[in-house]
Order: sequence, then C-alpha cells, then structure tokens
Amino acid sequence: MRYTALCAPAIVSMVLAANGHAETLIVNSYGGPYETIIRERIIEPFEARFGIKVIYDAVGSASQDYAKIKATNGRPGFDVVVMTASQSLEGCKEGLLEEFSPEEVPNLEHLSSVIAGVAGPCGAVHEVQYLSLLYRTDKLAERPNSWNALLDDGLKGKIILPTFQNVMAAYLMEIFSVAHGGDLLENIDPGFAAMAKLAGQSIGFEQSSSVMETYLKGGDVWAMPFWNGRAQLLVDSGLPVDYVLPKEGSIPLVATLNVPKHAANRDAALKFVNFFLEKSSQEAWVTGYKVGSGRIDIEVPADIRAKQITTEADLKALLLPDLAAVATRLSAWGERWERDVVAAAK
Amino acid sequence: MAVIICSTPTKPLRAVVPVKGLLPLIAPSLVLVLFFAIPMGMMIGISFQSQTEGSPTLASYSRFFSNDLVLAGLARTVVMSGLVALCVTVLAYPLAYYLARATSRWRTVIFALAIAPELAGVVLRTYGWLIILEDRGFINSALIWTGLITEPLPLSKNLFGVVVGLTHVILPFGVLSLLTSLQGINPNLEKSAQILGASRLAVIRHIILPLSVPGIVSSFLIGFTMAASAYATPALLGGAGFKVMATMVYEQVLFYLDWPFAAVMANVLLILMLAAGFIGSRLESRLHQKLHL
Repeated sequence: MRYTALCAPAIVSMVLAANGHAETLIVNSYGGPYETIIRERIIEPFEARFGIKVIYDAVGSASQDYAKIKATNGRPGFDVVVMTASQSLEGCKEGLLEEFSPEEVPNLEHLSSVIAGVAGPCGAVHEVQYLSLLYRTDKLAERPNSWNALLDDGLKGKIILPTFQNVMAAYLMEIFSVAHGGDLLENIDPGFAAMAKLAGQSIGFEQSSSVMETYLKGGDVWAMPFWNGRAQLLVDSGLPVDYVLPKEGSIPLVATLNVPKHAANRDAALKFVNFFLEKSSQEAWVTGYKVGSGRIDIEVPADIRAKQITTEADLKALLLPDLAAVATRLSAWGERWERDVVAAAK
Repeated sequence: MAVIICSTPTKPLRAVVPVKGLLPLIAPSLVLVLFFAIPMGMMIGISFQSQTEGSPTLASYSRFFSNDLVLAGLARTVVMSGLVALCVTVLAYPLAYYLARATSRWRTVIFALAIAPELAGVVLRTYGWLIILEDRGFINSALIWTGLITEPLPLSKNLFGVVVGLTHVILPFGVLSLLTSLQGINPNLEKSAQILGASRLAVIRHIILPLSVPGIVSSFLIGFTMAASAYATPALLGGAGFKVMATMVYEQVLFYLDWPFAAVMANVLLILMLAAGFIGSRLESRLHQKLHL
C-alpha cells in the first residue's frame, strides 16, 4: 500500500509527460553569468506563463552549435539556440534553420528594421552589443575617444589583439579601414595597414575573450577591443576599467535566437522566441545583462541607455557590413591577416 | 615428505571447440565499419564537394597544394611531430629500460609516476605548462628575479613550447611501448656478453639497442601520429602564429565553415600518418634483416 502510494504520482507524471501534458523545450546558450541572468529574467517567467519546462544546455560555443546543426542536418537535439547574425544568414541559406513569420512570432514586427534586416528571416535579434574600446582607468591618464588611441606610443606593448578566428578581429580591421579612408568590404587595404601597425604595438594575439580578459585583469594590458556586454561585466566586477564607443563608430555583434529546421519542440520554440522579444522581456534582459536591444520602444534607466544601443539613432550610427558578403571574403582575409598582421607582430 | 593426490573429475570434461572462420572478427569489424570506415568515406566524399558548385570537384585539393600558408602548416606539423617523437623515444628509453630490469620495490612507484601524467586531462596539463613557460610564467619570473635575464625567454607561443608540452603528454605511451619490447630481451644475453668481456656501452650498442628496434620504431610512430593529430596543446602553447594541420582543420570547420577544405586537410593528415606507419614498418624489417635478427 505504502509503495503504491509512493509510486502513483511518479507513474501519473510519466503518463502525463508521455501524453504531452509536461511540454519541454531545450534551449542552448552560454554558461557563466549569462546563464544566471537568462534563467532569472527570461526562462523562469516563460515557464510560469506557458507551463513549459525549459531544459538549459550551456554546452558549446555558437560556432560549435552551428557545426552541430549542420552535421545533423537541422536535428541537433536542442530547440532554440543563441547564435549570431552571420550564422543565421548561413543557416538560412543552407536550409538548416526555421524561417520566422510575423504570424508565428508577432513580436518580430517590433524590431527595428535597421537591425532585423542584418540577421535575415531565420534570426530573431534579441540582443545587440558593439565592439568597444576597453581600457584600464588606473593606467591611462585620459579617457580614449578614438580607435587610433590604440596606436599611441604610450600603449606600445600594452595592448592585446584577438586572433582572426575571433570575429572581433575582422570587425576591428573593418572599423580601422573606414576610419582610415577605406570601406567595409571592397577597399580594406587601409584596415589591414592599420592592423599591421597595431600588431607591432601588441603583446600578441589570443583567440578566447576570457583569456584576453586575464591580461587586462593582471595589468599586462591596458587597452583592447572587447564586446561591450563582457566589458560591462568587468566594470560591474569592480575592476578599474571602463569602455567607450569611439567616435569613428563600431560594428555590432548581433545576437540571434534561432530554431533548427527539424526541432522536436517547434511550437514551444517559437513561443520562447516571441516571449524573449516582448517589450517586458527585452527590458528585463537589457537591464539584467546590460546589453543593447533591437527594440527601440523599450524603457530603460538613463545610465543604461547612455552606454547601450537602445534607440534608432544608436542603431543608425553603427557600421553595418553586409555579413553575407563578409562570409565569402573571410577566408581570403584570414590568409591576409596571417601574412600582413601576424607577421608584423613577430 | 611430499604427498601427491591424484583425482579424477566428477563430471566429464567438455571438449574445447576451436573457434573457426571469421566469427571472432564480426564484432570488431562492425565497430570499425560503423565508426571508422563509413565516417572516413563520408569525409572523403565531402572533400570533393564545393560550396558553390553541385558537381564533384578537385577545387579544394588544388587550393590545398597551391597555398603556401597551408603547405607551411603541413611542414610545421611534420617537423613538430618528428621532434616530439624523437624526444619521447629518447626520454622514454632509459626509463623503460630501468623498469624492465629493476626488481626493487621502487619499480612500482616509478612505473606509477611514469604513467601518472595520463591521469590528468590533456588541457589541464597544457595549461600547467603555459603557467610554467609563458613570458610571465614561473621560469621567466624566476630567471628575471635572480637577475640572470632582463627580458623573458621565448619559451611559449612557439615550436619549443609545443614540443615540450606534447612530449609530456605522449611520454607515457612511449614508455609503455618500449617497456614491452625491452622486457622481451633475455637478461642472460647481457650477462653473457659481460662475462665474455664486453663493456657496458658495448652491451647497449650491440645487444640491447638492436634487439629493441621494434620498440623504438613503435614508440617513434606512436609519438609521431599522436603529435600530428594533437589539437589542444598546439592551440594553447603554440600561439597565433603556430598553425598545424589539426588547428587549421578546426578553424575551417568552425570559423570559416568550409567543410570540403577541412576534409582535404584531414585526408592529407591521415595520409601523412599512414605514410609514417608504412615507412616505420619498412625500416623495422630492414633493420631486422641487417642485424640478422
């Protein structure tokens, strides 16, 4: 009798689950502080409203997740994944990702057309960061306001650069290209020339953002390019650092929610994407993770608005390369980086 | 007084049935076909695909053999793997010889220490070397502190750092393969040679080394193939300018998303390892013939 009483709820819940009463959704994204904030600000409210159990999978970077989607032809074992606009465009072209429609994801219509177009029809832009100039406030006498500050003699041996396999490198080269009279795509010679000079200033290259951070924390590096979301985490941790969006402008990191083409829980995945794009969710995310948004109707405190991309004017001030065109040139740029930039650092 | 008890089994003994035919090979063959042959075939197929054209093409192969950066990476892989294999074999040999001949209780302790590096993950061990070798690492800090140097020595982010890290990772495998070979040499041969007047050096040169050639070749091949396919250690200890085939394959798969080109690189790496294995086995049989073994 006692055993029957104990087993009954378990059997009932198994039967209910088998009949679809306990709907689940597998969301793949990042670990660390990101996981803590997304659980608190997005996942828990979503579960409370829809009664859908979210299983959070923090394994793998965005590029590893995309490789998994490609290798399994759209059946990677998760239903929603956080990637970037570049991967959204590539996945859409290869037919590996679900195309979103305003009927199924109504909140897409509230995204700024400036940024929504960057990610294409398979990417729902839920976050916008920008490449910032992060610096040690205790080492630099003045707050830098230009990317050219990285070329100052005072920073020789005090900066670090990303390897080309970190997309920050290509974007930094494009920013310098524009700042030195070139453009984002066709005339990038000025960008590579500036990067070669910058390589001579640097102590080296690191692929991982977290490893780059250690040099700044240790005081070996005084300034470096860094995504502003991660830069803000360092500011909040109490380190003597700050970051700026230099006057020449910046290129954004457009983060997207994506649903693999053959996701097992497609309907729940679309609900999650739509929920994340809601005004209240975007406000919760922007104030929690301290990043920008593709929605320009959100209401956030002034201190956050001052540092993040939250308005149409902010979005229009960004440099927006054609990511599909960049993808076709990336391999050639990577080889040129090895010849011109890495060689200049030796 | 010794007592010998004879007894007969209570049940009749079952006759041992010898396994005939290919039956024992079915399970391993299935595993090999499913998890090696089919994926390898798929990878070879991908290497002939094109990102733009639908029909099979040799474009990725042509690109591989005409690109100086990629060929430099291939050459770097060969040099790095050869150096690691050499270091592993040279360092493992005396250790394996001691283990093969020792009878003291220290033998067990030293054997455990020899294979202990395998207990820690490769990434952990590599980060350990990074802490020791990098510019602000233990060695450079100590040398600067003592005043012996003023600028850090280039111990990491180069070939030296990678060879040191990989030698540490692969050394236990070299010890094990040499140990098996050295244990097979009858110790009485060495004693006989010494009784007949051979010096210790002559015994090593004319008896131990020739008889342990299979172990030396095996250790070298294990070292070479493991180093050639290693990813984590070259990626962490080599730095941005030190590209080898394994790190280049990773970049093509995850960053450039050019899977056909990555498949070509992987195929070339496989051919390189097969060639090393073939040359090693030919070398071993020639040495056997030469030494009349």
